[in-house]
Amino acid sequence: MTNRPALISGILLAVLGSLCPFLWFALTSFKSQIQVEAIPPTWWPDGSLVFYASALVEHRLLHYVTNSLIVAGATTVVALVVATPAAYALARLRLPGKTWILGGLLCVAMFPPIVIAGPVWQILERLGGLNTHWGLILPYVSLTLPLAVWILTTFFHELPVELEEAARIDGCTTWQALYKIMLPLAAPGLFTAAILTFIYAWNEFFFALLILTDPERQTLPVGIALFQGEFIMPWGEIAAASVIATLPLIILVLLFQRGIINGLSAGAVKG
Amino acid sequence: MAFPALTFVAVFSLYPAMDSFLLSLYSDFPGPERSFVGFGHYAELLQDAVAHQAFIVTLGFVLFSTALELLMGTGIALVVHERFRGRGWVRAAVLIPWAIPTVVASQMWRFLLNDQYGAINAILFGDRVEAYVPWLADPWMAFGAIVLADVWKTSSFAGLLVLAGLQVIPEETYDAARVDGATAWQRFRYITLPLLKPALLTALLFRTIDAFRVFDLVFVMTQGGPGDATQVIQFYGYKTLFTEGRVGYGTTISVTVFVAMAILSLFYVRTVGSKLLQREPA
Amino acid sequence: MASNLRRLSSWAAGLVVAALLFNAPFAHCRDFVAEPRASSPITLHFVTWKADHPRAWDEAIQRFEQVHPHIHIKREIAPHSSTAYHDLLTQKLRNRDVSLDLFFMDVIWPAEFAAAGWALPLDEYFPQNERENFLPATIASGMYRHHIYGVPSRIDSGMLYYRKDLLEKYGFLPPATWNEMVRQAQAILVGERTAHPLLRGYSGQFKQYEGLVCDMLEFVGSHNGSFLTDDGRRSNLTASESLQAVRFVREQIIQQLATPAALTYQESESLAVFLQGNAVFHRNWPYAWGLGNDPRHSKIVGKIGVTTLPRFSEGRSTAALGGWLYGISAYSRHPDEAWAFIEFMASPEIQKHFAIHASLAPSRLALYADPEVLHANPQYKDLFPVFQTARARPRTPVYPIVSHILQRYFSRVLAFPETDIREEAEEAGRKINRFLALFRDL
Repeated sequence: MTNRPALISGILLAVLGSLCPFLWFALTSFKSQIQVEAIPPTWWPDGSLVFYASALVEHRLLHYVTNSLIVAGATTVVALVVATPAAYALARLRLPGKTWILGGLLCVAMFPPIVIAGPVWQILERLGGLNTHWGLILPYVSLTLPLAVWILTTFFHELPVELEEAARIDGCTTWQALYKIMLPLAAPGLFTAAILTFIYAWNEFFFALLILTDPERQTLPVGIALFQGEFIMPWGEIAAASVIATLPLIILVLLFQRGIINGLSAGAVKG
Repeated sequence: MAFPALTFVAVFSLYPAMDSFLLSLYSDFPGPERSFVGFGHYAELLQDAVAHQAFIVTLGFVLFSTALELLMGTGIALVVHERFRGRGWVRAAVLIPWAIPTVVASQMWRFLLNDQYGAINAILFGDRVEAYVPWLADPWMAFGAIVLADVWKTSSFAGLLVLAGLQVIPEETYDAARVDGATAWQRFRYITLPLLKPALLTALLFRTIDAFRVFDLVFVMTQGGPGDATQVIQFYGYKTLFTEGRVGYGTTISVTVFVAMAILSLFYVRTVGSKLLQREPA
Repeated sequence: MASNLRRLSSWAAGLVVAALLFNAPFAHCRDFVAEPRASSPITLHFVTWKADHPRAWDEAIQRFEQVHPHIHIKREIAPHSSTAYHDLLTQKLRNRDVSLDLFFMDVIWPAEFAAAGWALPLDEYFPQNERENFLPATIASGMYRHHIYGVPSRIDSGMLYYRKDLLEKYGFLPPATWNEMVRQAQAILVGERTAHPLLRGYSGQFKQYEGLVCDMLEFVGSHNGSFLTDDGRRSNLTASESLQAVRFVREQIIQQLATPAALTYQESESLAVFLQGNAVFHRNWPYAWGLGNDPRHSKIVGKIGVTTLPRFSEGRSTAALGGWLYGISAYSRHPDEAWAFIEFMASPEIQKHFAIHASLAPSRLALYADPEVLHANPQYKDLFPVFQTARARPRTPVYPIVSHILQRYFSRVLAFPETDIREEAEEAGRKINRFLALFRDL
């Protein structure tokens, strides 16, 4: 791939292929109702902001965004706090049967959400977790843990053992060795696990629909799905909402794309 | 130290899965009283032509979508691995589809593929509105549409994993080949590809697992139609379990999917993951 | 650190124990919690959807809370699609959710809800003489085995919308039979071809979903066919009347008038085609009238006519019955207050409010003589006979299963033109019979 024209056409293809479908949606969000359903479609919007007004005011979009930020943020924090010591233990300590634990975790990652949805609902009902944010965060943590543990384990594996041994000689406990020495070194891996967890929780629809029926607590994917009225398809509002909903993630990706890729290259593939 | 993690998984994944497995051993009818039927539902599943069709549709989906995603993903990875100005922006751009919620992405594709005001028709046929194609009305094209939407959404995820694999190939490996006069294609075929194998297999595993569980796309775009042409096994399981209320049979379908996937990934863990699992810390 | 760990693990262990111990029987305990006194404030949870006319709903509920200041209505939002709403609601009911008091039932659910014990029988609250004030078809849809489980909030039934201007231009009267409709549409399409290449003869709902069952019921019923035999115990799909009607839809409607694009249409998509001025005839529910005459949504304001659905020359016009009933959860701790809410919402005053402000067709007979209702909805006058004779879909506790079998059958024969209709009908019939048999002796 040192061939210049080939590289440029590759870049163009990748960027256009990734962005164009979404750009069309973004253009749609600035159209008027009649323009959205015009045949043949018109390319350039007349710059109407009605759909944004409707999405933000009538459908209270920002309130769903806030809920999603709370749920996805908390899921990420809890999942990492729980996954890190587990991954460290699996990577470093001589635990009996840890091969099985890792294999088992991978298996858990494969459960179809539908198969566990019913029982999870019942557990949450008994704990009083329906229609609460923590009631959604708990299963999300459980569902994202396998991947987070997997990534972090491979990451800790790559870090030199000598550093910890030195720390131990200086009198650190296992926990101190983990938090003072290993964590700063594993930052890229933590970051990768964090973004994967965050995106999962941000995007998840099925559990959120089942667990949250209180409109005050519903998350963004559910909120957008409920835009659909009984009889009309509000394409414009959905497009406007999607643009707003995607912005936080685009910013996140732009800020941290280096972190994601470095994290992955040091971690997941070594398996 | 692993205890909190294992507890979470035990309560919110393992226990529900076990519970579901038990449910799959009980009858669905009549009324709320359920009687033990052992593996009766599993025997029924073997006879269920609708389930077989759904399974074939799912396999087709897994095959086409993962193959295309690995192909596109490798292409994306090769491009963004090169050094050029603005690489960070290009990398961010190709990651955007992956960051869009599936529910939204599916609605978007339904809109793009609309038979009247869809952008795809406008691009292909312009003002010749009478030539516009109702893509989702044709069984084969509807299937192609869900594959397309999935490939668009997740190629960059595969690309990310492949890129990570590319980054650990030392640059010097190529220098020797260049001195020997190898063409770009030969370098890719005989150096890059073999060294990428672990990364490709990792991507393959995660994509296969995900593709097997495809649900949102079908739920939003086609509802399994027309004529069950896009009914994947998870959607059939959902309909049976949640809409029809056949808890026993519905969980049977999902448990079977899980077992099929577990076998597949055991195979993977043995071949690819063994290095990680067996190696002890020095 | 060790104490941290201990605290964490004891917390986690507690979670496991809690999850494992609280088993199903405990759920009943809450049924015995003492009833709060009538004077203390009560919150009723009502599963509804995001209203198409939010102001009309907000106002109705506010008025109720003014009349009953000690009752607060908390709305929970479920999806609008009937099936998705059903799936969410039944998940709650299957788990005996006591926090749920009120819900809507689509007219196809009462048998299922009654057989499962989810819906409270309303016989005492809703006596015979009160039921007589409602359209009989809507009352019948709330009945199962001589008990009533739902109070009709409105009525929906299929009707034929048409382009008044185009029919007049070509000198046609609204069609009485399907064949007449096909002939008229073809003549108009030929005449308009150059001016309007996108124009289609017919737009209806033929996607694989619940609406497909309604549309097909209307074709099959108007050919003297039916889905089930008269006693409701066996499939009647292989009767020649039923088969011929299905063949007509495949060959005349899908392949000719509507184009296969209709296989992707639910109500909203098919309505958009009509409102853009791209269909001569359109099948839909009563609400389409309001949107069709709203210039924000429609390019054919004032050009729309509506009439009863056509029939086959040897059959009777058949309109599928739709609509929503108010129901009370069998696990509700406040059935009396819940009933007060239903009584209020189904009252003539509130139904009139919805008819005028949300174009929802009332379920109460008397409102069809109300001048204000008729002024807002002049089409009701002609459609009243349709509302009185609307045809229900099969009434059985296994309706969701029967519906899935029907959806697969119809969608397959329409989407795969080479399939043998009789063979597909036989296969669907066998399955339907198997599931109907499960409830035969109950």
